[in-house]
Amino acid sequence: MAGFLERITERLNIYREPGWYKKFDHKWTMVIDLDKCNGCGACVLACYAENNISVVGKADCDKSRAFSWLRIERYVEGEYPDVKVKFIPIMCQHCSKAPCETGCPVYATYHNQDGLNVQVYNRCVGTFTCATYCPYDVRRFNWRTYKFEQPLDNQLNPDVTVREMGVMEKCTFCIQRIRGAKDKAKDEGREVQDGEIQPACVQSCPTGAMTFGDLQNPGSEVAKLAKNPRRYRLLEDLNTDPSAIYLKRVMNDGAGTHEE
Amino acid sequence: MKKFILYIIIGAVTFMMGYTINGLYSPDISPVQPIPFSHKIHAGINKIPCMYCHITAEKSRHAGVPNVKRCMGCHSIIRTDSPLIQNLTSYWEKKEPIPWVKVYNLPDHVYFPHKRHVKAGVPCQRCHGDVANMDRITRAVVPFGIPYLRVSPLKMGWCLDCHKNEAQKYIGTPVKNGTDCWTCHK
Amino acid sequence: MKRRDFLKILGVGSVGTGLGYFFGKASKPPAAELIPYLNPPVDVIPGVANWYPSLCTQCSAGCGIHVRVMEGRAKKIEGNPLHPINKGKLCARGQASLQALYNPDRIKRPLKRKGDRGKGGFEEISWEEGLSILSKNLVALSEKGEADKLYLLTSQIRGSLHNLLDSFMASCGSPNYLQYELFQNRNLLHASQVTMGVNAIPHYDIANTKYLLSFGADFSSTWISPVSYSYAYGQMRQFDDGIRGKLVQIEPRMSLTGANADEWVPAKPGTEGVLALAIAYAIIEDGYYQGSDAASWNALLSGYSPKDAAAVTEVAEGRIREIAKEFAQTRPSLAIGGENMARYENGMSGLVAVNILNHLAGNIGVRGGVIPNSGGSRTIDYKNNITALAAAASASKVKTLLVYNTNPVFTTPKAMKTEESLRNIPFIASFSSFMDETTAMADLILPAHTSLEDWGDDFADPSVGRPVATIMQPAVSPFFNTMGLGDIILSLAKGVGGKVKDKMKWNGFSDYLKDAWKENYSKDKDMLSSALTFDEFWNQLLTRGGWWPAEQVKVKTVAVTPKSIEAHISKISSRFEGDEKGFPLYFTTYPHSSYLDGRGANLPWLQEMPDPMTSVVWGSWIEVNPMTASSLGIKEGDTVTVESPFGKIAAHVYLYPGIRPDTVNEQGGLIVGWIS
Repeated sequence: MAGFLERITERLNIYREPGWYKKFDHKWTMVIDLDKCNGCGACVLACYAENNISVVGKADCDKSRAFSWLRIERYVEGEYPDVKVKFIPIMCQHCSKAPCETGCPVYATYHNQDGLNVQVYNRCVGTFTCATYCPYDVRRFNWRTYKFEQPLDNQLNPDVTVREMGVMEKCTFCIQRIRGAKDKAKDEGREVQDGEIQPACVQSCPTGAMTFGDLQNPGSEVAKLAKNPRRYRLLEDLNTDPSAIYLKRVMNDGAGTHEE
Repeated sequence: MKKFILYIIIGAVTFMMGYTINGLYSPDISPVQPIPFSHKIHAGINKIPCMYCHITAEKSRHAGVPNVKRCMGCHSIIRTDSPLIQNLTSYWEKKEPIPWVKVYNLPDHVYFPHKRHVKAGVPCQRCHGDVANMDRITRAVVPFGIPYLRVSPLKMGWCLDCHKNEAQKYIGTPVKNGTDCWTCHK
Repeated sequence: MKRRDFLKILGVGSVGTGLGYFFGKASKPPAAELIPYLNPPVDVIPGVANWYPSLCTQCSAGCGIHVRVMEGRAKKIEGNPLHPINKGKLCARGQASLQALYNPDRIKRPLKRKGDRGKGGFEEISWEEGLSILSKNLVALSEKGEADKLYLLTSQIRGSLHNLLDSFMASCGSPNYLQYELFQNRNLLHASQVTMGVNAIPHYDIANTKYLLSFGADFSSTWISPVSYSYAYGQMRQFDDGIRGKLVQIEPRMSLTGANADEWVPAKPGTEGVLALAIAYAIIEDGYYQGSDAASWNALLSGYSPKDAAAVTEVAEGRIREIAKEFAQTRPSLAIGGENMARYENGMSGLVAVNILNHLAGNIGVRGGVIPNSGGSRTIDYKNNITALAAAASASKVKTLLVYNTNPVFTTPKAMKTEESLRNIPFIASFSSFMDETTAMADLILPAHTSLEDWGDDFADPSVGRPVATIMQPAVSPFFNTMGLGDIILSLAKGVGGKVKDKMKWNGFSDYLKDAWKENYSKDKDMLSSALTFDEFWNQLLTRGGWWPAEQVKVKTVAVTPKSIEAHISKISSRFEGDEKGFPLYFTTYPHSSYLDGRGANLPWLQEMPDPMTSVVWGSWIEVNPMTASSLGIKEGDTVTVESPFGKIAAHVYLYPGIRPDTVNEQGGLIVGWIS
């Protein structure tokens, strides 16, 4: 019994240790420049196409069961005619101190050596704990097994599992692309280069608002962008240490240029 | 009452037995193929290397079954008098691919690249058994004529055991991140 | 142990074993088959993806795409990183075109009408039968001397397919090859010609501008070439030289682009052109214009003073002058005029006024301004194709209509009665891949390939200051029993025989395409100077996805004089049908960001993707300002009817603060109800 308690305390302690992820191989990070993002939704669709995300239909959309791993939140402020609209794409933030990981009773969600918060579908038993603990509301639950109507199933990406009923799923930072790039790098006997890995959303973003890379590599594009003074992270006061970094939108209206 | 419990126990034990028997001896361990292709003749007696037919094993996640053209590359000349080869030729002439039955069938959630394992120097025989002595591919090992063990159980613990221990034989160290779920799951 | 017990134990044991055995069997995955290739394609390795460059045909922007193909199935569409228009990016519509290929609702084989027209009864026929029905019909037409009563209506097609269709129609003896697209920017082309004398829509260099004044151009989601402009927008927002480009959007309803603008100016609907002229007036009056002909400009613009305009447009005079000052003084600046300005009756005037603004601020032919594209050789077709067709059909001057990829029954207003006039046509053949409203009226359906299965090419218009040609090549083999449009036409030509057959000697459209490119290659000195033989050039074309010169083409500056454009500007704001009392609100409609003119509405991904501004999925809605709603006593989600002198539509209400209180808006694409 004592040994069991010790193991648990040890596990909890690593979440308290600042910068504990440093010992990992990579720290995959996404930087999203909200000043460039125009909210067009190309990333949302790219995510659907890449990750075999089910289309749930009108009735289930009404029950808030849409699967969008990546969603664009739209905030409207002010009254006519001084209306300000802001867009912010939100996907799993891959927190380094993720609340969801502490909750899962079967360790279906955990941190892997790449600094990613990952979800193991066939270990998941669907307790919904992780979704309850998640402050960003990015976890999606399979309330039903959604069938891909013939012949639409021909488009399914063979690199990604098709999830079934009772399983929690979420953004993986396109882990299959990370794996593919590592595989290619290994073949060529080199390390993965900066910019080589582009998750589907980053690849498709028409305005180039999204950047993906390894924060532990000081020469990488994200490491440079992460030093931007406009930088912030979502709900930082919760001490979740997210891996997604946002750059504030700038407004240049009557009051001059200022950050929003 | 005592008897009832006894029956339940007996039922449970025999149920497990039945389940195990199915796992060990059921015919899908060694399915009947549309053409009784013999690895013993090809890989054993004639010593054709594995990669001569399974060409994509070091390029792709799939080892790949040889396309019909590759079979015909030899068999348009060799043993054309055999009825089995004529069977193969008839597939070629009908322009139909041969519907081989899969022996090693991994579930959809497993990411197993042949490429990585072949490049790491794991011999094919490690998982597929002594193919060169099998007339029909089987997952069972057959000492003294009694099949009793599978060459590879295709269970997660079996994968991990190799990633942790046996890998040292091939690459000198345990597999890097070899026990991470997302190394093998997708 | 009793014998009875022994038997019981034996029974339980054997039943248990049997159950265990069969449970084990049932719990295993079913036996899978490994189907090898008979004769493998050279470049296919099972399990490894191939990427084929091709062309996106979801709108007329002409983006280059890469299609990810694994084992003969298309898996994903991404932008072609080498392509100068979309630079590796792709919008949601383009990515969703994968679902057009694998759509369960595709027309899978040729169909012939059974029963009454428009009742939806069709029977399956073979390609031979379908082609022979149509070619017999064409032969009969020409024998009766009614070849000019053959009409062909297609969506906007450029490139070799257009030439093929053109020469097919010509050899059939019909001048009636019409293209119809709901959003085809003819006004913009015309405005470019009358002000700058260039027969092409110019390239708007949004990427390098520092002040972008947009008159209702929703370039983030639908206007002309959204991916290209979105990419440029991202560049503009970078702090190059320490300055971040500013975007001012003038439109009555805040579009996606308006939402991203630094300032949103809600001018009254239909008055954007007047506002543009007032800004031009202010530039002259406040002395920001440096040219020597300021006096003649002043004379031309007299009567458009910001003060008068303020009353018409409901934009304050001070704000007009402020915009004029910033626009003239920020270098470089750029004004663009979009669909939402061009569609009114004074739309031409407005677009000309936008060009005047660009001229007065010195933006034409400079980096970050308007860069005129080299003009196309084709003549601009100003006539309103769809009205011409409807009129001819009503007058029984159309005997046979061939339709491809366009759906006028849906996209024209009900008041135009397109459906009724099409009913007068004795024979309609459709080449559409989907059963749309127009195809449902057809007598014969010969389904064409989708773009991922077919050959083709495209010459982007507007281009990016240099010519861009994109090649479309089949990424996957045909999924259903369909045929490429080019191949259908060539087979038809064979069936018709006579001089049509003589002119169309090619075996397939891919041969025609290659021959066309051989001709391009032999004529174009840029292509020749690449020092490749034609075969090498052709291979490079297919691997890169198209052809474009590496350098930005130098452009000559063009003169804009007050004299040349005097006749094209008008002071009036647009008039609206219906008297103010009976119809107090303005009704506007925008192209839907996902469905455009309705063509994307059959793709599940696009239906499920929330609308960027309202996050509505799977449906249509009416946008009403909350102030208007409260005065009318309606709540969000209520079903309301919007009525005009032409007709009415009903939909749910969405309370939208980004719209003028005197305006309601309906997003087009799902409901038939476009204003003319």
